[in-house]
Amino acid sequence: MHTQNRNQINEINNLVGRVQNGDREAFMVLTQLYQRKVFQLAYSYFRNKEDAMDVVQETFLRFYQKAHMFQRGKNFQNWLLQLAKNICIDYYRKHHKRDNEFRREENIEEVNQTSHESSHHDPSSDLKEIFPRCLAKLSDKQRMIFVMKHYNQLHYSEIAQILNIALGTVKSLHFKAVRNLRTLISPYMGRMG
Amino acid sequence: MKDCKKTNRNLVAFLYGELNEFEKKQVEAHLKTCQKCKVELLELKEVYEVADSLNADMEKAIESVDWENLPTRIADGVFDKEPSRERQLSRVGLWPFLFQPRFRLAYAGLLLGIIVGAVVTFLIFRSLPLQVAEDGKIIVPQGFYDMMELEMARRDTIDYLDRSEYLLLDFVQSSPEKSVEFWQSDYAAQKTMDLLSKKKYIDSQLDKIKLAKAKTICDQIELLFFELMQISDELSAEELKKIQRFIQERQLLLKIKLVRKELQKSEV
Repeated sequence: MHTQNRNQINEINNLVGRVQNGDREAFMVLTQLYQRKVFQLAYSYFRNKEDAMDVVQETFLRFYQKAHMFQRGKNFQNWLLQLAKNICIDYYRKHHKRDNEFRREENIEEVNQTSHESSHHDPSSDLKEIFPRCLAKLSDKQRMIFVMKHYNQLHYSEIAQILNIALGTVKSLHFKAVRNLRTLISPYMGRMG
Repeated sequence: MKDCKKTNRNLVAFLYGELNEFEKKQVEAHLKTCQKCKVELLELKEVYEVADSLNADMEKAIESVDWENLPTRIADGVFDKEPSRERQLSRVGLWPFLFQPRFRLAYAGLLLGIIVGAVVTFLIFRSLPLQVAEDGKIIVPQGFYDMMELEMARRDTIDYLDRSEYLLLDFVQSSPEKSVEFWQSDYAAQKTMDLLSKKKYIDSQLDKIKLAKAKTICDQIELLFFELMQISDELSAEELKKIQRFIQERQLLLKIKLVRKELQKSEV
């Protein structure tokens, strides 16, 4: 098992090495291998297919441009997701800045109030609608950590590596993210109960 | 209570299976006895489940993507269609590129600069007493020539005073014995000759215009240099000392300085 992992790592490293030399085939193999992972991350972050597809394309373009910066022996997936994470945050700030500013002005009570009002119509569908909005209200880091943990099912150690922060910080931010989400959706959950 | 606080901090990691065996058992043991933490865990689980409910949407989105052809499309974008900045420019076209909204501020600044420049140029030229005759020749009034002459005389006189001052300083500050050598040297001879010829040149200008003080001092300097030139070979050290004292008593250097300052202030 261990040898197999090592072989896989070597294989990936070789492919990246070929991409560094402009090998299109190697680039396509790596894209095939990791496109879903990047899409999952971007989709969970934006909850929107078009935005997620833009991020996938931009991530692989950035990968091609920065392939020479990849250090052999490092985890390629984590490195690629690090690129994707940065693109997600940039993209969000660029294309959803206005929504973001609006959300900043909106406080937790307002989100809850909106959910309260809309819950009179169809509670089950509102829950799905309100959750992405609550997620978007988290800080960039909390949101990214929640998405990576919940939807990409990455381990804390991998998230720490991708975000370049301490393991304890990841654990603490994830805790805060879940607690904040609970605060944001709790009135709604109470009524459901 | 202490256990509650510790467990509470670990509940999210417990829910997501991020605790090691030991920590996991600790949390499980605490949950068996603590109703409050159990409720807390249930609430966190609700968040987990709500977040999970969005998975179906994501699955649907994943299914709708053409994963087989996506790598080719991306590779096309990267290898074939990824243009360099220059190519991007040429594809977009120069005019649309130049008229992008992001350049608006730069263009506004440029326009403002041109307007201000034009106004300033207009004001300068309007104040100059130049007129263009019908045949295209520029007519310059007499006053303008006078101004020019005065300015040239002023500058020449300042230059003459500067050079004289340096030469006199060299002379005054050296010992009488060395002064003899100094005035017999080619350097002093050359400098004095230069200054005497310069004086002849500025004389014509000084005569025309009202620079009385400057004229007086320039005449004195000329006389001094002339005398030094004429008789330096025959002068003894004692006589040269007298001349040095004479320059100091008359405060010739100070006068030169004052006149020069006055001239510098009175720029035309």
